Parts: sequence; structure tokens; C-alpha cells
Amino acid sequence: MNGNKEMKDIFEQQKNTTGIGIGGETQDDNEESIQIIGFVVGNEEFAIPILNVKEIVKPIEFTRVPGTPPYVLGVFNMRGNVYPLIDLRLKFGLQSTKQDKDTRYLVVYQNDDIAGFVIDKLTAAITLPSSAIDPVPDTLASNQAEMIDGVGKREDQLITILKADALLKRDF
Amino acid sequence: MQEIMEDFLIEAFEMVDQLDQDLVELESNPEDLELLNRIFRVAHTIKGSSSFLNFDILTSLTHNMEDVLNKARRGELKITPDVMDVVLASIDLMKALLQAIKNSGTDANSGIDITDVVKKLQAISQGDAPATDSAQAQPQAESQAQDSAPQSESSSVASDNPLSDEPDKDYAHMSSEEVEAEIERLLKKRQEADKQKRAEKKAHGEVSDIQAPKPVDSTPITPKEATPAPKPATPISPKADVAKKPSTGKEETKTVATNVEQTVRVDVKRLDTLMNLIGELVLGKNRLIRIYGDMEERYDGEKFLEELNQIVSSVSSVTTDLQLAVMKTRMQPVGKVFSKFPRMVRDLSRELKKNIDLVITGEETELDKSVVEEIGDPLIHIIRNSCDHGIEPPEERKVLGKPEVGRVDLKAYNEGNHIVIEITDDGAGMDPEALKQKAIEKGLISEKEADSMSDKEAMGIIFKPGFSTSKVVTNVSGRGVGMDVVKTNVEKLNGIIEIDSEKGKGSTFKLKIPLTLAIMQTLLVTTQEEYYAIPLSSVIETVRVSQDEIYTVDGKSVLRLRDQVLSLVRLADIFNVNSVLEPSSEVYVVIVALAEQKIGVIVDDLIGQEEAVIKSLGYYLKSTRGIAGATVRGDGKITLIVDVAAMMEMAKEVKVSINSVIEDAQKAKIKSSPADYIVLAIDDSNTDRAIMKKCLKTLGVTVLEASNGLEGLEIVKNSDKPIDAVLVDIEMPRMDGYTFAAEVRKYNKFKNLPLIAVTSRTSKTDRMRGVESGMTEYITKPYTPEYLTNVVKRNIHLNIGDE
Repeated sequence: MNGNKEMKDIFEQQKNTTGIGIGGETQDDNEESIQIIGFVVGNEEFAIPILNVKEIVKPIEFTRVPGTPPYVLGVFNMRGNVYPLIDLRLKFGLQSTKQDKDTRYLVVYQNDDIAGFVIDKLTAAITLPSSAIDPVPDTLASNQAEMIDGVGKREDQLITILKADALLKRDF
Repeated sequence: MQEIMEDFLIEAFEMVDQLDQDLVELESNPEDLELLNRIFRVAHTIKGSSSFLNFDILTSLTHNMEDVLNKARRGELKITPDVMDVVLASIDLMKALLQAIKNSGTDANSGIDITDVVKKLQAISQGDAPATDSAQAQPQAESQAQDSAPQSESSSVASDNPLSDEPDKDYAHMSSEEVEAEIERLLKKRQEADKQKRAEKKAHGEVSDIQAPKPVDSTPITPKEATPAPKPATPISPKADVAKKPSTGKEETKTVATNVEQTVRVDVKRLDTLMNLIGELVLGKNRLIRIYGDMEERYDGEKFLEELNQIVSSVSSVTTDLQLAVMKTRMQPVGKVFSKFPRMVRDLSRELKKNIDLVITGEETELDKSVVEEIGDPLIHIIRNSCDHGIEPPEERKVLGKPEVGRVDLKAYNEGNHIVIEITDDGAGMDPEALKQKAIEKGLISEKEADSMSDKEAMGIIFKPGFSTSKVVTNVSGRGVGMDVVKTNVEKLNGIIEIDSEKGKGSTFKLKIPLTLAIMQTLLVTTQEEYYAIPLSSVIETVRVSQDEIYTVDGKSVLRLRDQVLSLVRLADIFNVNSVLEPSSEVYVVIVALAEQKIGVIVDDLIGQEEAVIKSLGYYLKSTRGIAGATVRGDGKITLIVDVAAMMEMAKEVKVSINSVIEDAQKAKIKSSPADYIVLAIDDSNTDRAIMKKCLKTLGVTVLEASNGLEGLEIVKNSDKPIDAVLVDIEMPRMDGYTFAAEVRKYNKFKNLPLIAVTSRTSKTDRMRGVESGMTEYITKPYTPEYLTNVVKRNIHLNIGDE
């Protein structure tokens, strides 16, 4: 019995502490919001949920893999792991350009699927309230709409928020 | 409960494997009581555990089996081939039931009908029942007579006991186990003289079996066991014996118990993780060795190098040992696969009405678990084929003057990093002509192809899907799927198959398979700018040939190598590598073989042998054709590992004549006017560049300019049209001429680009450095315009200016 009581006390304590934690958070943002990483490809700004970003690295060498579509540049080595590298410019049907000092590899993951994406430039980590995100316009072609989660409004800019799973999907 | 069931299944499958072998042996050796006892115990143990786990169907089956075996064990029943067939059938059912349990967790809905076999079993056990009393008396009497048998004798026999006895922890069963021990001991005594050695071996073998049973799950079974137990218990009358034994029995269990602790059952996943980590370590080691090499060059003679050398070599030897040790933990004797073949051959020979002896050697040869798992199917097919198509019917053999009993040899042995498995039969052998004829009939090859085929190649036909030489399609083989499966499976393992057959004498199938799949030795090659690793197990040899030795047959390139004609294909064509190098008249050919095929692959350079830790390309690129995986090399770069099987397929689709490629390339290089030649001038001084430009103007070539090495390097790398020559100053800001040259030479495609140093540095050491860094020529300032233009002309092979 004694032991049980002790346990109860501990549980009670834990509940209290976690309760405080939750309370503190809810005070900060009484509105639901998501955090995204913004980046530029071509002339447009895109974003991807921060929770899907594993890391962002400067361009490193990659190895071409034969028999893949042009937008699959190859594979690169990140600390002993082999990840595919995808050029988002080519994937979005834009002209490929030379990599410059702003070029980054955005390593995106969803569950166990990981891939690196070449982006032109990183903009910022942005916190957007849900109210600032509009659904995908109906007028968009269905294949494009599949990749897009929504359109975020920020000051006078629009940011296309991409779906990580659609980006990571193998489509060849 | 789940855990108990898992243990039960693991244990049961292990026992069943052993069982098959024992049963076949029993048939030829029906008097061997020890064997019978062992078989009986398996049925008994499975019955016990399954009744505890409520597998009613399995329990009823094993119960009836147990009855029959018990009779046989006591000598009340003679094991005839007919009895054996029923017993074997019941074991098959048992296996099926176990499989059903493994898949669905119950035997209730498996759809396996055991009533028929159970009836047969019951008929057998009841038919011979009357003999019971007299038969029982005998062992009993013997047991009394041998009561004084020395205790020491028992140790090897008694080590069997825990296996069957653990379920019987209560007093009633103690006595029954003693009976068994008695019987075995008597048997031992009787056969001691001639069988001592064998008995010891078996006892050793059984020690490993003992590790399997879990005392925990078997103890609660006892209540259910009450029924069979009294039977063996009753005949035991000598009370003194029973009273005396338990103490020794316990001692024996203790010694066994310590044995048990010496092995640990480990989840394969953990071993896989360990193997992966070792892989990382191997990569680290490779990298360390490379860095040491660089250091050695740079700091030659420094004292710390000695120390570094010691550490590097000790780390590398420890890593290698560690890798071997972990690989060993994953090793399993190939006998695990072989053990099911005696039974299979026995069934086959009965079905085909042939007499066939399967002789197995080298079953203790070990190889990686993953390989062991894959190798079973191909072997089944080959052995089936040998029995069905190879060995002739007895009458025919008699006529041919061969011994009536056909012989199939299954042999395993190590050969370097490979295991070789040979299946030899002394049957009819294969007739290359007949094979060709048949293949033409079936439309698998054209007549033209058949004519050009060597005998060896003809034998390769049997691996073609849809091919079968047997006139009658039997249950056993001849549906034309078998050998195709063999080929794909062996290819999957990166193995090689060789067939050797002589008509009338027999055939030999030789499978050469790498020991492990996780780490492999590769041959690193380059084609243009790309590196590829070819599994060394598939590489037969490498040769350097000149273009003249390459012939074109039917639009395909072939190479005549000694007495063989090999089709040739460029690696660059297989993988669509961009051509950046100018083709040379001499090429390296890597002769690659897989299963029974061979081709020659043309590469630009051979780098050497390297140990590759295979990594998957991941979900995204896993199914890339021709690529088996990737490996991270010592410098951190990724190199792709070639999937030889797929590459050979792709090679067939490549329709490029190598000679014409070379010729085309040479034609494309022809430049019509001097302006097609591009010369890059790199100098930090505007004046110097202007002078160079002015000199070259007389030649009419196009001149590009750069003010330092870095800028020059960018131009060389990114220029749309290839640069034909570079004039470079040595002393420049940001990147000097030496570094520039060294950087340029890092690229394969710039290996032959003329680099002409133009400098006021005239000392011998400067010139030496120039040569070391890769400069082609060295011009000292000041120079005459004629001299400069001559040097440039010579280097870019410009003839137009002379005309």
C-alpha cells in the first residue's frame, strides 16, 4: 500500500509539471501555427515544414547514377549514408543553373525516406499561423496540386508550401 | 506465451531438420536403436510442447507417430520401407503443421488433413501390438544384466537425456527416462567395439541440440504426459536401479547446463547491425590508410610518421580481425541445407524407381547465413535434375556396364573467398548436339546461333527459361522452370556456375559462391570521369588489348581471347556515360562472368582492388538497373557497385560498334580552320597576356584569357568547347601555376591537355617542379614569338598553318 501511495505521488507530481509546460506553450500561441523553412527555386519562394527537414548542407560532391531521369543528379554521402540528390529546378521544369555560393542541399525526410534537394537559396525559418495558409487553388493542374500543401501569405509575399511525402515520392 | 511459442517453433524446426536425416539413415540401418531413440524423442518432445500450447491436430499426429516409433524402438515393429513411407509422410504433415503454426499461430485452420495418415499409423501400431510383452521383457532383462555397467560409460549417452527428459520432471518420468538411458547404454555396450568413434561424434552433435530446448516451457507439460509415460515405466522392475540413478542423472544435467551457457542465441538483426557498424569501421580504416599515404608523401622523414604508421597498421589489422570475427558469427555450416537432401533423394529414387546413392562431403564448410538461405533452392533443382535426367534407370545402367546404384556426389569446399559446391552424377551426361537441336525446336535459339556455339555454351542452354530435355514431364522435373531458377538464384548471390559433362559418363555442376554478401572485394574501374566497382567474384581476368584485336561480327564487337570469342561492350555505353575522353587505341578489357555467361567490358582504366561495404541506394534509387548498391570510398566519395547480372542483360541491348565509336570520335575531332583551336593564356600581367596573344595571332587560333589560376581552372572546366592548350604563368595571385596544373590533372579528361608553363623562373628545381605538377612544356621568359608559336603548334598538332 505504501509503495502504491508513493507511486501515486510521483504521478501527481509529473502531471503537475507537464501541466505547467503545456500551459506555458498554449499561452504563447493561442492560435495554431506551423513552422516552415523557406527557400527559392527559380523565381518563386517555396517552403517545407520544418519537421521534415533533416538538415541543410552546402553543396558537396555527388555521384551520378545511370538510368535515372535528369532531375536525379545522383547520390551523395552524408556521414556514411547514401542519399539521392534531386535538382528541384529540373524537377519543376526550369532550366538548370550552375551552383553558386547560395546553393544548398536541403535534406528532407519523411519516415524512413530521405533525399537531398538542390535549392537556389535559403530564405528563412518562418512561423505561419494556420489562418495565413490558403488551400491550393482549384485552377492548378492536378499533378501540380498533388505536391502542394497550401499557399502561405506573408506580408506581401506568397509562399508555396510543399508536401514532403510528395517530394520524396519516387515518380519514374 | 508468444515467447514460448517462438521457442517451440525454433526448437521444433531444428529437430525436424535433424529428423529427416536420421530417418533416411534409419531405413538403411533399421537396427540402430540409438537413431530410433532420437527420432522417438523428437516426436515425443513436439507432442509434449504442442499439447501444452493447445495445438490439437499436431498433438494427435505426433502422438500416433510416437506410438509407432515407440514400438519400433522396443523392437516390436520392424521398420520396412512401407512403414517408413507412412512415417515420412507423417513427418511431412508435421512440418506442414509447424509451418502453418509459424504463419498463423494456430494449427486449427491450416486445412491440413491428418486423418488418413493417423489411421495408417494406428493400423501399424495396432497390427503389431500382440508382440509387446515378449519384446518388452527383453530390454528389461538386458538392462538388469548390464546393471553393473561402468558409470563413466554413460556420460556420452546421457548427454542426450536432457533433450527428451526435461519435460518429465516428476517422479514417474524420472524412471522412464532412466529406462531410456538404460536402453541406450545397453546399445552402446553392444556396439561399443565398432561404433565408439561414431557414438562420440554423435554425442558432440547432440550437445548442440541440447542448447535448443527451453526448460521453462517444457516443464508444465508433465500432466499431459502421464499417458505415454507409464508404458515405458512399467517394464522397469529393478528398484535398486531406479533409486540409484536419479543422483547420477542430476549430475549429468548439471554438466550439460554449463555447456548450455557457453552459447547464446542472438537475434539475426543484432548481428546485421553489428555487421553494418563494422562496415563503417572498414570504411574509416580505408580512409585512414589513404590519409596516411598522403601524409607520408608530404612529411617524408618526419618522426611522427613512424608513430602514425604504427597506429594505422594496428587499427587496420584489428579492424580486419574484427570484421572476420563478426563474419564468423554469421557463418553457418552448409550442412544445414544439405541435411534435407538425403530424404529428398530417397523419395525421388523411390518415385523414379531408380537406385541412387547421395554421397555428401564437406557439410561442415561454413558460409554466411544469408547465403545459406538462398542456396537451398538452386541445389534442390540441380540434384533433382541429376536424379531425374542424369542417372539412368537400373536396367539401362546394367546394359551400359555401370553399377546398378547410381551415385550423386554433393561436395562443398572452400576456395579463397568463395565456397564451391559441386554436384556430380555418374549418369548419362549431356549431349551438346541434342541440346542445340532441342533449343532450335523450341525456338530458343536460331540455327545460326547454334552453329557458332561451343559445347560449353551449348550446355548453357539448359539455363534458358522454357527449356527441358526430358521427353516426359515428370513430377520431379522437366517443366522447364528449374534450371532457370538456379541461374537467377546463383546470380543473385554473385555466383558462377560451371557445367562439365561428358556424354555417357555423367555431369558436374560447379557453383562458386562468395562467402558473404555484406562486404565484398571489388575491382575499381573508371570509364570517362566515373568510377564503378565490379564485384571481384565475377571478374575472371583483365587484359589490355589494342584496337586491331577487336573484330566486328554482325555489328557487334568481339574479342578473340586465346581460344574463346567474347562479345565486347563499353561500360560507358552500358551506363550512358558522357564521352569526355578521347578514345585511345589501347583499351582495358575486364572479363566478367556470371552463372554460365562471359563478356568483356571495356573500361578506360583499372584502379585496383578495393574492399567495398555494400550500401543500399535507398528507397528512391534501389531499383536502378545495373547498379547493385553503393560504397563509400576512402576519400568519402560514393562509388556505385555494378550488378553484374543486370549489366550483362544491358550489354546485350547495347548496339554500338566500338571500332566505329573510335573512328567517329576521331573524325569529330578534325578541325577545319585554325580558329577552331582554342588556347587559354593565364597570366596576372596584362602585358604578358597581350604579348602571348599577339604571338598566337599569327597562328589564327582563338585565345581566351584568365588573370590567375583559379579563373583559368574555371574556364578549363566550364568551357563549352574543349580547350586545346593552356599557356600558364607560374607566379600568380590566388592560385599559382603549379597548383593550377595539379588541379587540372586531377580530371581524367584533362590528362592529355597540353599545359605550357611560361615563366621567368629558370632554375632546374623550378623545371622539376613543373614536371611534377604536370606541365607538358616549359618556356622561359623572355622568348621569341617564333619559339612560342612553334611550341603551341606542336602541342595542338596544328598542321593548317604550315600549308
